[in-house]
Amino acid sequence: MDRRIGLVSLLAVAAACAPRVGPLAKVMDNGEVLHPRSEHVVEQARAAGDEQRGQLAEESAENTAAALATCAPDVCAAISRGELALGMSESQVLAATRTTTEAWSTRRSGRATLMTALPGEQSPADAVSPIAFVDLQDGRVAAYTYREAQGLRTVTRPQEATLAGAAAARADALLRQGDQYAAAGRLDLALAQYDRADILRPDDPQTTLRIATTLDKSLRPVEAALRYRLFIHQMELEKINAEGDAAAKIAGAIASAHERIITLEKR
Amino acid sequence: MRHAPAVAARAVLVLATVSLAFAACAPRVTRVAPEQAIDLSGRWNDVDSRMVAEAMIKQSFEAAGPQNWAMRYARQHAGDLPTVIIGTVRNRTMEHVPVNTFVNDLQRAYINSGLVQVVASKGERDEVRDERLDQQEFASAASRAKLHDETGANYMLQGEIQSIEDSERGKTVVYYQVDLTLTDLQTNAKVWVGQHEIKKFIDRPRFGL
Repeated sequence: MDRRIGLVSLLAVAAACAPRVGPLAKVMDNGEVLHPRSEHVVEQARAAGDEQRGQLAEESAENTAAALATCAPDVCAAISRGELALGMSESQVLAATRTTTEAWSTRRSGRATLMTALPGEQSPADAVSPIAFVDLQDGRVAAYTYREAQGLRTVTRPQEATLAGAAAARADALLRQGDQYAAAGRLDLALAQYDRADILRPDDPQTTLRIATTLDKSLRPVEAALRYRLFIHQMELEKINAEGDAAAKIAGAIASAHERIITLEKR
Repeated sequence: MRHAPAVAARAVLVLATVSLAFAACAPRVTRVAPEQAIDLSGRWNDVDSRMVAEAMIKQSFEAAGPQNWAMRYARQHAGDLPTVIIGTVRNRTMEHVPVNTFVNDLQRAYINSGLVQVVASKGERDEVRDERLDQQEFASAASRAKLHDETGANYMLQGEIQSIEDSERGKTVVYYQVDLTLTDLQTNAKVWVGQHEIKKFIDRPRFGL
């Protein structure tokens, strides 16, 4: 009898130690047949998408037809290439970027209109780069700004839209970034930016001088001396074309570069 | 001679018993509908994969309005379809989970919806590229596929599956969480995140055959 009581007590204690779980809310029985609804959902999405894309295609075709009907030859060529150009109308901007008004936030104020690419999405782009803003005056594009890896680049004149113009603007942006890195003491990153600027705009004395100085500060005297010499050579060429104050400044820069070369060679 | 019928009866009985034993050991196969949920061990199985695929497809397409990323892309790009590449879905559980079953279901839904274009993933395209290179040498000029004319993806689908397990005295609770993400390849912005959770309670008797 005592043994039985002991056993029952032991079982009761063991049961009390086990974690207690409330009734389980079952969501599926073993053996239950599932009824997938995904095919139906996909079919619905397909129907809705087909309808909407049909509307969009119609709207886009109308827009492109209107854009091409009224364009000057160079603007028409730009639309065909998918590039923005100065002098385009709003519908021509949409046609050139293959977008609809939904990709832009458009604000009008008097004679000015500013089209801003909507953030957070695949931003509208032309064949060159993603676009940040398009500024229209009297319904015609007066300026447009690209969002590029080097920062924002604005085109306000036709020559800035050429390959050389774009390269010069990107080189300037890289020099600015390089200067910021140099000011922050990151000479390695500064040098990388200057090198990239040098590829985009070769034979620029200002870039060469920055590279020479950065190499000099990075304790790479041999490469620095080579760059200083190249700078002097480039400046001599500049000197031939320069006059007055500009020539005096160039002479000063050449003299300080010579000084550095002598110092570096003495080491 | 008197015992002959009894011996024969005994032989029949033994034969019948042996036959029964063999029949019991033979494998029994029953074809069932793929939609039927059958759980044997409690580990990840086809039912879980189907549930994940179903949930992810619904989350992708049920909001077929302005909230839907694919529709939004089409509206902003004059009806162009967004292009998706399937990246890696990592299995971070201790179990073997074949992730391609539900990823392929989702890929199929993308294509069938007509809202999304899917391009060959990293693993698939090598074979396609080899074939294209082969064509440059052996196919006729009119029929050969052009080089360097692939479609670049706008978004990449990536994800992971994780599990948390808790066991005590033959009872186990397993929780699986599957997360899928669509990331904009240019900006790294995440445009869609799908999530599905599965929780199982497994009660294994301590004694049993």
